[in-house]
Amino acid sequence: MPQTLSTREANLFRTVIRHYEDKQYKRGLKAAEQILKKNPRHGDTMSMKALIMNSQGKTEEAFALAKEALTVDMKSHICWHVYGILYRQHKNFDEAIKAYKFALKLEPESQQIQRDLAVLQVQIRDYQGYVQSRFAMLKAKPHLRQNWTALAIAYQLEGSLEQAENILTTYEKSMTNVPLKTDQEHSEALLYKNTIIAERGDIKRALEHLESDCKNCLDRLAVMEMRARYLGQLNRKEEAAKAWRALLDRNPEHPEYYKGLIEALEIDEKDEAALKAIYDEYAAKYPRSDAAKRLPLNFLTGDSFKAAAKSYLTNMLDRGVPSVFANLKHLYSEVAKKEAILALAEEYLKEHKGSEQANGDSSKGVGAALYFLAQHYNYHLSRDLAKAMEYVEQAIELDPKNVDFHMTKARIFKHQGDTAKASETMDRARSLDTKDRYINSKAAKYQLRNNENEKALETMGLFTRAETVGGPLADLTDMQCMWFLTEDGEAWQRRGNTGLALKRFTTIHNIFDIWQEDQFDFHSFSLRKGQIRAYVDMIRWEDSIREHPFYFRAALDAVKLYLDMFEKQQASANGTNGTGEATNGEDAAEKKKAAKKARKEAQKAEREAAEKAAKQDPNKATAKKDEEPKKKDDDPNGLKLAATTDPLGDAMKFLTNILQFSPKNIEGQVAGFDVYIRRKKYLLALRCLNAAQALNPEHPRVKEQFAELQKAVESLDDAQSAKVKEVLKAKFSS
Amino acid sequence: MAEDKQPPAVVEGATGGDVEEEVQPTAKSAEDRKAAAALSSLDSNREDESSAQVDQDAVQNAFHSLSTAGSKQAEVKKVKVDAADVALLVEELELTKAKATELLKAHDGDAVKAINAYVAAPAA
Repeated sequence: MPQTLSTREANLFRTVIRHYEDKQYKRGLKAAEQILKKNPRHGDTMSMKALIMNSQGKTEEAFALAKEALTVDMKSHICWHVYGILYRQHKNFDEAIKAYKFALKLEPESQQIQRDLAVLQVQIRDYQGYVQSRFAMLKAKPHLRQNWTALAIAYQLEGSLEQAENILTTYEKSMTNVPLKTDQEHSEALLYKNTIIAERGDIKRALEHLESDCKNCLDRLAVMEMRARYLGQLNRKEEAAKAWRALLDRNPEHPEYYKGLIEALEIDEKDEAALKAIYDEYAAKYPRSDAAKRLPLNFLTGDSFKAAAKSYLTNMLDRGVPSVFANLKHLYSEVAKKEAILALAEEYLKEHKGSEQANGDSSKGVGAALYFLAQHYNYHLSRDLAKAMEYVEQAIELDPKNVDFHMTKARIFKHQGDTAKASETMDRARSLDTKDRYINSKAAKYQLRNNENEKALETMGLFTRAETVGGPLADLTDMQCMWFLTEDGEAWQRRGNTGLALKRFTTIHNIFDIWQEDQFDFHSFSLRKGQIRAYVDMIRWEDSIREHPFYFRAALDAVKLYLDMFEKQQASANGTNGTGEATNGEDAAEKKKAAKKARKEAQKAEREAAEKAAKQDPNKATAKKDEEPKKKDDDPNGLKLAATTDPLGDAMKFLTNILQFSPKNIEGQVAGFDVYIRRKKYLLALRCLNAAQALNPEHPRVKEQFAELQKAVESLDDAQSAKVKEVLKAKFSS
Repeated sequence: MAEDKQPPAVVEGATGGDVEEEVQPTAKSAEDRKAAAALSSLDSNREDESSAQVDQDAVQNAFHSLSTAGSKQAEVKKVKVDAADVALLVEELELTKAKATELLKAHDGDAVKAINAYVAAPAA
C-alpha cells in the first residue's frame, strides 16, 4: 500500500535524504522525526531514520526499525533498499542482494538500486548475476560507453570471452566519428579488447588488431611489449628480435627484454659466448646499465665467469655500492661461483690494502671490500660468524660512523643468537643517522626480536604522525604496517601475553579484510576513468590476496597460539584430576601474573587515554560535533580474544584461509592436521595429512601425524558413520 | 501525486564508491566550492562527450541486436542425492550445503567416493 505525504512533508522527506547524503545526521534525524510525528507509520521515513541511526553506530536499533518499516510498507522500494544497505554494511552480502533484488522488482527503473546491486554482485563474484545487472544497465543507458565496457568486463569475468569481444565491437561499430587520439577511455578500451582477443588464444588476430587499431594507443609501452610478445609467440623471430631491441633501447635494465631478445635470436642456452655477446653489446651501448653487466653472471661458468665477476665486483667496490652483495648472493647456490666470488673479494682487498684511501671516502675501495666480506661470512650459505665479525670490526675501525657497517654487525649478533646485543648494536646504527627511516625500522625490528615491545614502539614513534589519536600504534595500524604488527605479535607471544599477540595477528587478518572491502570503490570508479586493464588485473589479484606471505605468517602464528591455548586448557582440566600438578601450578601462577600485568597495563592505558581526551576536549569537541564518533576499540589488549573457551574454533578463521590459499605450504598443512585431529574431524585431518605427504613424505612431523591418526582411527567408536570409517580405514589398510 | 511520494533515489552514503560523489557539498571556502563544481562538471562533460560521439539510434539498434542467450549456463547433472549424505559431508568436511550437494552430484551421489576425492592430495 503506497503511503502518501502532504506536500510539506514530502519536501521534508527530501531534506532528510539530503542531510543523510551530506552526513548531517543529527539534522536528518530531526527532520525525520518531524514527519513521523504527523505520520507515525510512514515506512519510507522510518527506513531513512534507520539508515541514519546505522551511520551513527546504533546498529541494532537500526535493524529493528528497518524491519518495522518493512512490515508497515512492504511495497516500498525504499524500505527494501535501505534494508539491503544495512545488510551490506554488515557484510551479509547474500541477504543484501536479496533485498536489493526485491527493491528492484518494485522499482525496476531505479538506476541507484540497480547499480548497488551490480556492485555487490561483482564484489562477491556472482558473475552471472553481474552480467544480468550490467545488461539491464546498458539497456537503460546505451549511449554511455562505460556501460558497454562494463558488460564486456562482466562477460569476460564470467568466462564468455567471445561475448565480451562482441560487445566491444558492437559499440565500436556504432560510433559515428572517430574519437580524438588523446581520448584515454577510447585508447584503453582498444587495448582492453586486444587483451581479450589474446586471451581467447588467437594471437595472430590479436597482433593484427594491435597493429591496425591500437597503433596510436596512449600506453606506448604496453603496445610495444604486447607486440614483441605476440611476434615471439607467432614465431616471427626476426621482427620479434627487432621489437625486443626497441624495448631495450627504452629500458636496458629489464631482464625480461633480454630474455625475449635471446629467444627471438634463437641462441642456444649453452652457448655462453653468444649469450655474452648480446649483453656486451648493450653494456657497451649503455655503459651505466647494471643489468647488462650483472645478468651474464647467471649463466657464465669457469674462467669467463671469473673474468666477468671480477670486472663487475671491482667496479662496484671501487664505487662503493652498498647493495653489491645483495646483487650477487643469489649466485651462492652454485658452490664454484661462491668460492670464486670470495677469492675475488679477498684478492681485491689484498691489492688495495696498502694504498691510501682514494679521495678519503672510506665506504669505497677497502671499506667496501671489508663490508662485502663481512656480509659474505654472515650469509647462510657461506657462514663463518667469527670471520664475519673480524671483517666488520675492521670496516668499522676504518669508518666508525658508517650506518651500513654497524647494521651488518647487528645482523651478525643476531645470527649468533644474541638478540640483546643485536638490538643494542642496531640501535647504535640508528643513532648514526636519525633521519633514515630504513635504519629506524630495522632498529625497531631488532628490538622486537629482543622482546622489547615498548622500546620498539617508541623507536617507531619517531617516524609516525604525531597528531594521530592513540599514538604510534594507532598510526601504524592505520597505515597497515604489517611487518611491525607481526613482529610485535610474535614478541608478545614469546613474552606470554596471549591477548596482545592474538590482537596483532587478528589485526593483520582484518587488514586483508579491508583490502577486500576496498574493491568496492573501484567497481564504478575504474569504469568511469576507463582504466579497464588495471581493473581486471586488480579483480584477479584480489581473489588471491590471502596467498601473501604476510598473511600466511600471521595466520600460522595465530593457529599455533590457539593450539597452545587448547593444550593448556586441556592440561589444566586434567590437572584437577591430579596429574602433572607441578607444571600446571607453575603455569597457572604464570598465567595469573600475566593476566594481572595485562590488567594493570589496560588500566594505565585507559587512564592515559582519559587524560589525553580531557586535554583535547575543549577545543576539539565543538569542531567535531556533527561528525560520527570514531569507533572505539572495545578490546585494545586482546583480553577478550585470549579469554576464548573455544580456541580451536577461533583458529578456524585463520586456518581455512591458510589451507585454501597456501595449500602448498607444508607448515600450514601440519598445523591444519593438529587442529582437525583435536577437533575430531578425522577426515579433514586426513586431508591435511595427504597433502603434507604429497609435499614432503620425509618431513618428521608428517610421520608422527601419520601414526597419530592411525591410532585415532583404531579407537574409533560406533558413533562414527560407517562411510567415514570406510574412508579412514582404507588409508591405513594398504 | 506520484511525484510527491517518489523522492530522488536513496544514496548509499560514503561507502557508495564513486569518488567524485564523495566531494562534500558543504565546502568551506569559495575555492573549495569551485573545485567541487569543476569536479562534478567533469563528470557530466564526459557523458555529453561520449553521447556526442555515437549515433543514438545506432547504439539503440546495436543494443537490440544483442541477446543474453550467449551467456554460459552451467550444466546441471540430474543425480539423486541422499539428504543424510549431504548432512554427513556438511558435518565431517565442514562444507556448505550447496558445496556438499555439488560434490556428491559430481560423484553420482556416492558419499565414499566423494569423500575420497575430497581428502585426496591435489595432483601436483
